[in-house]
This record gives sequence, structure tokens and C-alpha cells, in this order.
Amino acid sequence: MGNDITILIGGAAGYGIQTIGNLLSKACHNAGLFIFSVDDFESRVRGGHNFHVIRISNELLSGPSLKLDILVAIDEKTYLNHKDELAPNGIILCNDTGDDTKMSNTTSHIPFEQLARDAGGKIASNTVAAGVILAILGASFKDLEKLLQAQFEKKGKKILALNLMAGKSGYDIGKTIQFYRSFDFNKSNHSNVVMSGAKAAALGALASDCRFFPFYPMSPGTGVIVNASAFAEQFPLVIEQAEDEIAAINMAVGASFAGVRSMSVTSGGGFCLMTEGLGLAAMAEIPVVIINAQRPGPATGLATRTAQSDLLFTINASQDEFPRFVFAPGSPKDTYNAVKKAFHLSEKYQVPSIVLMDQFLIDSTRTEPDDLKIGSEHESFLLSDTKMYQDEPYLRYKISDSGVSPRCTPCSGPFLVRSTGNEHTPEGLTSEDPENRNMMVEKRFKKVKHMKKEMKMPSLLCTEASFFLTGWGSSKGSIIEACLTLREQGIDASWIIFEDIWPLDEYKLKKILRNKKLVIVEGNATCQLGSLIRQLTGIDYAFSILKYDGRPIYPEYIIEKVQQIMGH
Amino acid sequence: MTKTKYDIDNENQWCPGCGNFSILKAMKQAFTKLKLDPDNLLIVSGIGQAGKTPNYLACNMLHGLHGRALCLATGAKIANHNLNIVVTTGDGDCYGEGQNHFTAAIRRNIDITLFVFNNQIYGLTKGQASPTSAFGMKTKIQQNGTVSSSFNPLATALVNGAGFIARGFSGNIEKLSSTMVDAMKYKGFSMIDICQPCISFNKLNTYSWYKERVFDLENNGHDNSDYKKALEIVHQNEEKIPTGIIYKKPGIPFHERLPVLRKQPLSSYVFPESELKNILGRA
Repeated sequence: MGNDITILIGGAAGYGIQTIGNLLSKACHNAGLFIFSVDDFESRVRGGHNFHVIRISNELLSGPSLKLDILVAIDEKTYLNHKDELAPNGIILCNDTGDDTKMSNTTSHIPFEQLARDAGGKIASNTVAAGVILAILGASFKDLEKLLQAQFEKKGKKILALNLMAGKSGYDIGKTIQFYRSFDFNKSNHSNVVMSGAKAAALGALASDCRFFPFYPMSPGTGVIVNASAFAEQFPLVIEQAEDEIAAINMAVGASFAGVRSMSVTSGGGFCLMTEGLGLAAMAEIPVVIINAQRPGPATGLATRTAQSDLLFTINASQDEFPRFVFAPGSPKDTYNAVKKAFHLSEKYQVPSIVLMDQFLIDSTRTEPDDLKIGSEHESFLLSDTKMYQDEPYLRYKISDSGVSPRCTPCSGPFLVRSTGNEHTPEGLTSEDPENRNMMVEKRFKKVKHMKKEMKMPSLLCTEASFFLTGWGSSKGSIIEACLTLREQGIDASWIIFEDIWPLDEYKLKKILRNKKLVIVEGNATCQLGSLIRQLTGIDYAFSILKYDGRPIYPEYIIEKVQQIMGH
Repeated sequence: MTKTKYDIDNENQWCPGCGNFSILKAMKQAFTKLKLDPDNLLIVSGIGQAGKTPNYLACNMLHGLHGRALCLATGAKIANHNLNIVVTTGDGDCYGEGQNHFTAAIRRNIDITLFVFNNQIYGLTKGQASPTSAFGMKTKIQQNGTVSSSFNPLATALVNGAGFIARGFSGNIEKLSSTMVDAMKYKGFSMIDICQPCISFNKLNTYSWYKERVFDLENNGHDNSDYKKALEIVHQNEEKIPTGIIYKKPGIPFHERLPVLRKQPLSSYVFPESELKNILGRA
């Protein structure tokens, strides 16, 4: 095990908690350290209780942690809510406002606000806190100075000077605090990348030649659009805020019909509104990619929280039956690749692709090795040579062995492209003929055999173990870490993690899962993956570890639940 | 009927004698006048009898969901603003199910032309009230008369900044087709609300009912650049139904509002591989 600590910084919204987290993660990244950070915030702009958990290690981290080595309590609520999560020997730094005497005597009382005021403004309290923490971790003041310069240079000399002074006073106090671990901040050669799922999704779309992002704001999906809009100046991109999610999905379908790759990002409620449009894309065989960033619901639910509860909904969304792809990446890097694959396969098979993310994956950031490749996913499947249609009629829905018909864009040659959401003939003319209906349903479903071959089977640590922690999507990292920790404790655990979700080859899946004791781990109340596995293979799971409180699944939670199950 | 290059061999499902046939004829005349070849024309439609229109025309077609034609058309136009896009829709499709998209398209000033086949009744679903049905009109469902006041599409368009607003009448094909030509030539969002009888279900707003009321604004010396006058016209009561261009004002269409589209159509850009390499390197 490497050197590995977790820090929680909590306070009211508007205090700049996230800024402290960002400064820490930058300092660590510059030094080649690995981080995993999670923001926990309420659906409000000011006040309330928000916190940022950052885990730091000199080795690659797969999951977040909630065993706190340092608790930074800007307000009393943070102290009360999190003091029980403190690791043995962990330390507490709390904001000394002069009157809080009830905190324990293992606590360092630091007047963050007074120090900031002394430096010239209360606003720099968060910089004081960042200074304290970096000093404790073993960074030099120079490291902090560089970061502050980069962060505040643009805001003018006065603000920079204020923050440098605030950072220095925090740093000096930090130096006097005893802590049992420190990091080497001198190492700086590395090729890592720190990214959130939101940024990775935006980059994945750009690498797929996505040029149009029609969307309607909805937490937590909006983060992807925010990240994409940062590139709107240098790339051929149109980011259009639609009047609602129905408009967003239909605009995406319209643009895709006209030859521009499009993606819409939303959360469960917005995805509900998009389902009819999803069906249109399927019926008209127009490629489109949707990211559903899950949050707990139904209805408004918990707007800024996380869940893995749309798995079965996403596989089945919209009326009737049609082929679609569903992916559920487990990390930012996986997200980048999943979004590319979603575009590539959506275009190749002319079916919709959905990428299931969630608030945890969208908003948390982590260090991963930087090997993001451009690849060939941006290459077009649109018919480039259309000369033959000068002599023969172009049939948009021509019957073929693979079920895929030649796709041209409208007004691109001397032929007509006719697409419709009504059942149609190969020419694209509306038809209610029963034989034609059968032929077209079968045409669309011919694709599934080939689509299944494109899908990656779930990954396993090893094929022999006394049980398998089985999950999907964003809980991948926590499952992996829990599994490795359990093995260190002498417990024979393995993992099975699904990232390509739909359509899966049930026979291949059955071979993999046969005779294995499955312990399903997922963020919903009804064990949806367990149901899906049973539906596809007839294999039942042994136990389930479920979580639906709106918070991420931490490794510690899985370990505790496994120990409970084993105790029975 | 004379043959045109917009004819297509597909059985028409409209009721014999439907006003839609006249609108279809006017469209063919307008496309002919504009010398717009079928393969250079995209018609986007929603659901309802008007939504079926591109099925009866030789043209590129995107026939989508109820109420959402304007969204599809907006997406297609953003993707390639060189496309000539006409949307055919009805009063239920555009002013009922799709009303949010109607005002949004106006505000974007997306450069497409909207033909609303307004028969003041739901035809395809067999005779329920539509948003433009007269207040108190009796139907099979609204047996004691409608209890919602009638939606005013042209006033809505005008006050939300539409730059080309017209009304047509299916009973005057020549006039309608020339208004269509003007609408399609207009740079930006243009709309024609087309009055049309529904011979099967609307027993109130019949052909003769319209015939008695419609008059041509042009013959009355209307200055269609006069906003105040236009505002008066769109609020005129049903006793007189003005047709022709009610208001026309140049504006900046959506694709000229965004630098990326001002340069060239979105679909015509080359994949920016080197820019992407740069940002991936710095991710």
C-alpha cells in the first residue's frame, strides 16, 4: 500500500470549498501524486452544508474514501457531521471563531477568517485553509505560491497579493501542526491526467466529431455541456440551449439526419421527456447519442445527488421494441472511450446509443494515466460515393443482410432521402401493409446479432473465487478497491464489472457467470443488474449490496456489508 | 391536374375535397416558381393531416413526431444552413402540442418556412377542438362548446419578433402560392397561417364561411412594414379575415448570429484533428 490519506473540507456554500479542493488537487498533480476527489453539495447556491473530499496517494487510486485523516471544519456542522469518520490519529482543523469550545482537544483551532481579514479580506479564508493543509502535507511554500499566482494573476495585483499573504499565514500555521504522513512534492515528471467524468465525456464527444450539443440544463448532466463549451471557440461546435428536453433530442435527430453528429446530455427527468424522440431516432434509423447522468428520483428526487437507478429504464425506454446501445463507463478515462464507442456504433448501425453516467462520475475528479487517443471513431459512415443513384433509385431503408441500409444526407445528390417515424417502405413512404411491417421490424432487429459482437463482456479479477462483487458503471472503482482490500484480509473475493451494458450476448454471459456466487453491488433499491442478469441468463444472485441514499458507494461501505454477509 | 416534378406515386390519404389538396397544389406552384428541384428541397413535418404532406410530394423528407417538426427542422438547419427547409404542420401540431417550439423557433429566427394548415379542428383524430377552434364551438367531445379561448398564432408570432408573418387561404391557390414564394425567399423565420376548411369535422368554419370573410391585404394598400398596423390586423375579429403578408421586416437569421456558422455550414467543416491533439495533450 502506498502513502494514502483522505481530507474532508466542509462549510457553507459560497465559502469557496471547491477552490480549496482545486488548489490541493493541482498541487498534488504537479507533484505527480494521485488524487480522487468528490464534491458533495446541496441544491442551493449559498449556505447549507457542502463538503469536498480529496484522497491523495503516491499510487493510482481506483475509488474514493471516507476514512478521514484530516477533517477541515469551516463550520460547526461539518465537525458534527463528520467527526465520526475520522481515522485513528486523524486530525481536525476547525475554524476558530472565538466561541466554539465544544470541539475535542485533538483539534487545532485556526482562525481562518481572522487571518484572511488580517491579510486584507475575509474572502481569502479558503486560501488560508489551503495554505494550512499544503504545509501539513509537506509541500513547500513555493509550490503554493506558484498555484496562487496561476489562479489569481488575472484578477489583478491587489487580489493576488491578498491571497499570497493569506496563503503564507495559513502555511506558517500548518508547519506547526503535527501529522503522521507527508508526501514528496519534489517529483514532477509524470504523464497523468486529472479529469472529471464531465470533462471526459465532452472530450469523448469531440473526438467522435460531435458538432452539435442541443441540451436543456439539468443537474448533473449540465457539467458535460459546461466542459464542451470551453472548446466552442476552437472547434466547429454549436451548443444550443433548447426550450426543453423534447426539443433537444429532436434537434439532435434533425441535425444528425442532415449529417452532423449530435449528442444531448440530461438526467433522468429530462431523459423521460426524450424517450419519444429516442423512439423516433430508432424508427427513422437516425444515429444519436444521449448521456443520461443519473440522479435519485423519481420526479425531482435529489437534484444534486447520485444514483444508479436508471439501468432498466434506459434499456427499455420508449414504447415498443428496438435495438439500441447502452454503455456505463466506470471512470473518466472509461467515459472518454465509452462516448467514442457510443458514437461509432450509433453511426455504424444507425441506432441510438445511450451512455449512463451519474452525478458521482460526472462531478468527481481523479488522476489517471494520460493515454487518451483520438482513434478512428470520428470516421464517417455516410455514403460518400453516391454516383450509382443517378441510375438506380436510392432506398433509404433498403433491406440488407446486416439490417443496415446505405445512409445519405438530404440534398447531397440527385436522389431523395426520405425518413419517417411512421412505419415505412424501403423508399421511406408511410405504409400500414402487414407484410411490409414484418419485413421492417425484422430488418431493424437483424442488426442485433452484429451489435452484440461489438460489446465487451464484463471484466473479472479472476475466474475462481468464493464470491464475486458484481456491479456496473461508476461504482467500478469502489468495487475494485473493496475487493483488493478484502483479499488482503484473506477473503477470497473477485469482481465482475459491466461497462458495455446492452445488447449483451446472453450465451457468452451465461458461460462467464455460470457457477459463480454473485454479490451484486449497485446504487438502487431493487437490484436492477441482478434482475437483468437473471432475465438474460437465468442465473440468480446470492446477495446484494445496495445503496440508494443519494451518496456514492464507498469501498468502506462494500467491505462493511461483505463482512455482515459473511457473519451470517 | 397538370403534372409537376414534385408529383409522387403514393396513395393520398386525405378526405376527397379536403382543403389540403389546394395547399399542396399551391406548394407545387411555389416550388416551380422558385425553380427549386425536389432533390434540393427538404420538407419536415409532424403528425396530423398536414404532417402527411411530404408523403405526397417528391422531396427530401423528415416526418417526425407530433408537435416536434420545428425542432427537427431547427437541428437540420443548424447542421447545414444551405438546406431549403419547409415545415408543414397543422393547428394542433404546431399551436397545441408544439407551441413551446413555435415561439422558440421565432426567437431563434431560424431560417425556415412554416406552413400551418389551420382548419381550427383536429381532423386525424376525428373532430376534437383545436387551439384555434372558436370559443364555444361544439364538437363531439366539447358537447357544450369549448371553454378555452382561441389561440392567436399571428399575434403570438408578431409580439415575439417574427420577421415574416402572413395568412393564406386554401380557397385562393394563386394568391397562396405567391405568398409562399415570398415566405421562402425571406431570410429568417417565415410563417403562413393557412385558413382551410375541414369538410369532415368543422361544420362552423366552412368554405363558404371563409369565402365571405377573406380579403386581400395587398388590394387594400396595406403597408406590411408597419408594425402598429400589423398589430391591429392580427387582432381583427373574425368578421373580416385579412390574407397576404401582414408583417415583414429584415432580421439576422440564427446561422448568421453564430461565428462558427457565419464561416460555413457546420456539416462542411473538416474534423479538427490537430486541435483535438492539442487539447488532449493538455487534458
